[in-house]
Amino acid sequence: MKRSILAATALLALGACAKRGGEAASTAEPGAETGTAAEEKKAEDAIVHPPLDPYPSTYRPYASGTTLITGATLFTGTGERIENGAVLIADGKIAAVGGAGAITVPEGTATIDAAGKFVTPGVIDIHSHLGVYPSPSMSSTSDGNEATSPNTAQVWAEHSVWPQDPGFTRALAGGVTTLQVLPGSANLFGGRSAVLKNVPARTVQAMKFPGAPYGMKMACGENPKRVYESSGPSTRMANMAQYRAAWIDAAEYKKKWDDYWEAAEKFARENGDKKDGDEEKKAPEAPKRDLKLETLAGVLNGDVIVNMHCYRADEMAQIIDMSKEFGYKVATFHHGVEAYKVADLLAENGTCAAVWADWWGFKLEAYDSVRENAALIHAQPGGCAIIHSDSEVGIQRLNQETAKAMADGNKIGLGITEEVAVSWFTSNPAKAMGILDRTGTLEAGKMADVVLWSANPFSVYAQAEKVYIDGALMYDRDDPARSPRTDFEIGQQGNDFTGGAGQ
Amino acid sequence: MIGNFKLGLLALAGAFAAVPASAQVIAVQNARVYTMGAAGVIENGDVIVRNGVISAVGVDLPAPEGASVIDAAGRVVTPGLFAPTSQLGLVEIGADDESNDASPKGDFTLSAALDAVDAYNPNSTVIAIARAGGVTRALAAPSPGGKLFGGKAAVVDLSGRIGSVTKPQAAQTVVMGYGGASREGDTRMGAWAVLREYLDAAISYAANPRDYVMRPQDSRFSISDLKALGPVVAGQQPLIVRVNGASDIRNLLRLKNDYRLNVIIHGGAEAWRAGREIAAANVPVIIDATANLPYQFEDLGSTLANAARLQAAGVRIAIDAPDTHNLRLLPQMAGNAVANGLPYEAALAAITINPATMYGVQDRLGSLEVGKAADLVIWDGDPLEVTTRPVQVLIDGRAMSLENRQTRLRDRYKDLSRGDLPHAYRGGQ
Repeated sequence: MKRSILAATALLALGACAKRGGEAASTAEPGAETGTAAEEKKAEDAIVHPPLDPYPSTYRPYASGTTLITGATLFTGTGERIENGAVLIADGKIAAVGGAGAITVPEGTATIDAAGKFVTPGVIDIHSHLGVYPSPSMSSTSDGNEATSPNTAQVWAEHSVWPQDPGFTRALAGGVTTLQVLPGSANLFGGRSAVLKNVPARTVQAMKFPGAPYGMKMACGENPKRVYESSGPSTRMANMAQYRAAWIDAAEYKKKWDDYWEAAEKFARENGDKKDGDEEKKAPEAPKRDLKLETLAGVLNGDVIVNMHCYRADEMAQIIDMSKEFGYKVATFHHGVEAYKVADLLAENGTCAAVWADWWGFKLEAYDSVRENAALIHAQPGGCAIIHSDSEVGIQRLNQETAKAMADGNKIGLGITEEVAVSWFTSNPAKAMGILDRTGTLEAGKMADVVLWSANPFSVYAQAEKVYIDGALMYDRDDPARSPRTDFEIGQQGNDFTGGAGQ
Repeated sequence: MIGNFKLGLLALAGAFAAVPASAQVIAVQNARVYTMGAAGVIENGDVIVRNGVISAVGVDLPAPEGASVIDAAGRVVTPGLFAPTSQLGLVEIGADDESNDASPKGDFTLSAALDAVDAYNPNSTVIAIARAGGVTRALAAPSPGGKLFGGKAAVVDLSGRIGSVTKPQAAQTVVMGYGGASREGDTRMGAWAVLREYLDAAISYAANPRDYVMRPQDSRFSISDLKALGPVVAGQQPLIVRVNGASDIRNLLRLKNDYRLNVIIHGGAEAWRAGREIAAANVPVIIDATANLPYQFEDLGSTLANAARLQAAGVRIAIDAPDTHNLRLLPQMAGNAVANGLPYEAALAAITINPATMYGVQDRLGSLEVGKAADLVIWDGDPLEVTTRPVQVLIDGRAMSLENRQTRLRDRYKDLSRGDLPHAYRGGQ
């Protein structure tokens, strides 16, 4: 009982800190701090809170007008299909979605006649290594795997992301508006992810999705035990032992901070009305920050989302049990080649599976692939299927990958509609990344992350014609002025591209 | 949901009457037939197969007596797909040493002498999985290990039969560009110099083998490798050269001219920059239709327009699959080339008749024409579309099973209910 109270206190403390952000903002009016209140505030301010967002997003949406895309077939990402539909974009947000002609349009709205075309929410890739394994691929740019220790929960992918990776522009031409860049899978704990808006920028901070929760990458199975064969873990049982040891450390670290905050708040209360001449009491000392344990404690607090690379069904079951042992949640199993074997277990635990349509055979744990994997995951009541790329090529065609996976499900009678399958590369990854309240569907009030497709996106011939991010037209296949070119590629001989950023 | 499932499976089974594998005469009727030959596309077309060979292609052909008739109304028929390169039958699991024979490790003595036929395993599960995707023939090619040459590649069929090698020693493989440079002194100068040395030695050996082995020489090249290169320097056997950069490609065209080689460019990310020269030299190119990233400085010019530009320049192109385990994605790759400007039938040719022509088997394979092997696929829609799958695959006129390890696993686990016995007792028979 006491434990749970402590945990609740800690959450409150962290929540308060989150609201403050990087600055020591106060709820009190400036200048209103007098006497006891001021003293108490000063004492509260003395409480140490590790910054939750020390590399804050500087992303600001680019200029956008009011635009109506009308006459298209809409796949809203909420399971709805609207024939002859329209989307109104205003102030960077989706202002309205409905049938063409049913939307009241403000004066000065630019209208795009999209008859015969299709509109979806912006494509979201939950598993990318763009920027950390960029093109060109050379040792100088290889920044995705800190393969020096099985637990590198302390590293943050954003500190490796090279914003000049040409792969971002290719993904943009494939309709990708948001992506999660993950560290590689060499380690049991790979580090924090970076959730980015796919907007070209000089700095990674200017790409960071404002307010998106951090993810953490973990890896099961073959990769960690192969990479650390000589020093360990060299077996799957050691993989588990090392995860568990780390969670024990994380729980202890979390408690240290929880205890400190409780003591420090008590101290602040008791010393807020301290009078002159009172005996000087020593404030509680904050624990020393440990970046590795801070990330892991963030998982235990529910602030950091777990992205678990795991191929085998039996391992997924072990990982789910471990998450219960230590009181956290696995949001998504990534790669999940055998997810179809435990699709019921995943659904019962509210865990998504992010998979490829058909990659297989590159290692033994990828041997039992079936083309119906995503469809079978989806078919479970409450099942959550996501199509991911893990590839600078695949990320350009998540719509095609989804089309294949849907078609194979339908050929065994699963009856999956396009309007439902579109969620596999839009709303489901948004949900798993904790950003569904802001993007991932065509719904009024959300960020206007929108793709206009030349044809049905479930066709190999469809191409993203226009890609809007927060309402700004960031890619237009027909307008070279709306097609980004990275510093690395500019001025190189022989790459007079066609298709703009899609090269 | 489970109910739905069973209905769906029944519907699928009922939709298509299976042809007995032993049928001698087969009549495929009423399909849209892409012949990939002079007859072009035939609407409501028929294909008659007799003893494994196509005996007639046309409209309103009467089914011969005793023929197994396949009504393919609303379906599309194409020649079986031909994977222009692969490690088929040489690799089961990429990262597993024992089941991966695709290339020698480290500084193994031999290179050009290695022969895919020696390692080809017709029982590999990769074959049946590719076949279910409509692939009926492939080049099974060793990959270079520590040396420039990979070895002798074979054209194989995907029947899984013991005698499934169609043409052994159909091509030799070599890696140039930075891949070659990294093996020979870490400079492209090294790769080209060593390649010329090999060719010179092979010519010298071929001119007088007995004399060559008697001569004092450095032991740089093994006699087996030089012997294997004999058909290459004679200009008989195609040499598949892995190369991407435009300047390396131009070097290759010079080398081809100097040594009178029959070369095929593989990769060719910047081939479009030398399109007219490549066409004039009559050199075919096997491309990755989705390559559009500058992985290295030698492929800065990588573009999705490569296929269309090469085609327009008059180059014979073939389109590669993304990897051996996914040869079934040849149609998706070709479809993407179409989305980026390649004419539809040129894309289909790039995965059927063109690879057959590259390896000198176009008289038997690659198109639906009288006298050719009856490798054909009946599709449930546009064959290049990502939502289309084969409903029937014939190899040499034999109806192939579309079952494979993946469909068996799917059927085992599509119902996760506990049942009377564990999953291990289901569908294993």
